[in-house]
Amino acid sequence: MNATKAIGKTLVASPERKLEADADMAVVRQVQAGDVAAFDRLIIKYRERVLGIVYNMTSNREDAADLAQDAFIKAFQSIHRFQGQSSFFTWLYRIAVNSTLSHLRKNRLRSFFSLESIREDDPVSRELVDALTEKTGAGRDAFVRELQEKLNDAMQKLSINHRTVVTLFEIDGLSHQEIAEVMDCSVGTVRSRLHYAKQLLQAELQPYLQ
Amino acid sequence: MMKDPERKITIEDLLRLKRAERPPREFWERFESEIRAKQLAAIMERRPWWDGVSRVFAVALRNRVPFGAAAAIALTWAGVHFAGGPSQPGRAARPVASAPAPVARAVASAAQIAAPAAQAREETAVAASGLASSPEPVVAQIASHLAEAPPVAKSEAAKGTQFSDGVASALVDFRGADPELARGDVFGSDREFEASFASVRQPPSEPLARVDPSGERLERLLVPALPSDSSSGAALLGGYRIKQKASYDRMYESLDRYGAGGMSLEFRF
Repeated sequence: MNATKAIGKTLVASPERKLEADADMAVVRQVQAGDVAAFDRLIIKYRERVLGIVYNMTSNREDAADLAQDAFIKAFQSIHRFQGQSSFFTWLYRIAVNSTLSHLRKNRLRSFFSLESIREDDPVSRELVDALTEKTGAGRDAFVRELQEKLNDAMQKLSINHRTVVTLFEIDGLSHQEIAEVMDCSVGTVRSRLHYAKQLLQAELQPYLQ
Repeated sequence: MMKDPERKITIEDLLRLKRAERPPREFWERFESEIRAKQLAAIMERRPWWDGVSRVFAVALRNRVPFGAAAAIALTWAGVHFAGGPSQPGRAARPVASAPAPVARAVASAAQIAAPAAQAREETAVAASGLASSPEPVVAQIASHLAEAPPVAKSEAAKGTQFSDGVASALVDFRGADPELARGDVFGSDREFEASFASVRQPPSEPLARVDPSGERLERLLVPALPSDSSSGAALLGGYRIKQKASYDRMYESLDRYGAGGMSLEFRF
């Protein structure tokens, strides 16, 4: 089983990811040796990505901040158990995703959303908003706000597992194999969940897909 | 990407907008201060005892090859030095030789008691080895095991001897200390009990021999029921037959009254 996983990882992992994993492992070794300050480098490196995952799963800024912090603290507390069988980033993601899933299951009935603003310094998102505004003829800010809310609603209608797969694949850009490792399921399950989730999102967001 | 106005907007494009949702810079300052406080609290927090155990296991797992080799060497060494036991010739005799004098005496007397048994076992072993011509090694081995068994028998015999000796000496002491209480009519003598028990015990006999002949038994049973003037046996028997016939007549009469005849029974009201 471990051998199969290792082969799969070797085939999937790109050279950049491998270099990144090696660099992370060196920092982890320092932390394991007692250099607590070295963990700050890992926090600064991964905080935006971890927060992005948690935020897109919960759609709540405050909850996302707490859960991301807790994920880093859990990783720090149990870093002596990390043996480098997977990359640090996959391990950290797994901690964050599992914490978020258990939080969402505990607070299933509580739904309070707080949205971040879209930063339009990203050229791709700015062009997309321009195109949509031209097509609908609406005011830009109001349209962006409405689109954000619709996206959020559509994401919240997905089940927790489907939402997690969509977040990890479409928003965070992880591969199927990496998502399977993070969610501890097969690649086939990841693919089928992704397909089903996209179908649901397409049905929900049909007015914007013209 | 969006240069072509005719290009269709897909769900992936819409989801890309979610990537652009990012918190402001102030948020990260607060995030950093909070996580630092939590990290400090985690360092200062008293860890539970199992955390130490899990750390030890983690270290052991990381260095499992040297740990495993060291454990194997230690086990081998312990096996060689401590598990030799009974196979070493001097080891079995040592406890007996170094035991205190009374115990050694008891063991010696037990060995004397067990000697015939051991001799019998040896004879069995010899007989078995003589008989076992075809599966010789197996039978000979069993026989040799039987012959080697005496240490256990000796110790058991020693226990029994010591116990019975102890009881006998206690009884003697008691009788010497209080002759009034130790009289034969209070506790009885050693032989009285056996004699009284023997008188109660019946010799085994044939069960059918104790059964009376039929005529005698009938007479014995009828004597209290019949009138006292009928003294002879024939008169007794005749009277019994008359009484029996009368009781049969009464039974048939009652059966007729209830309509019972042959294989059926009916009640008339």
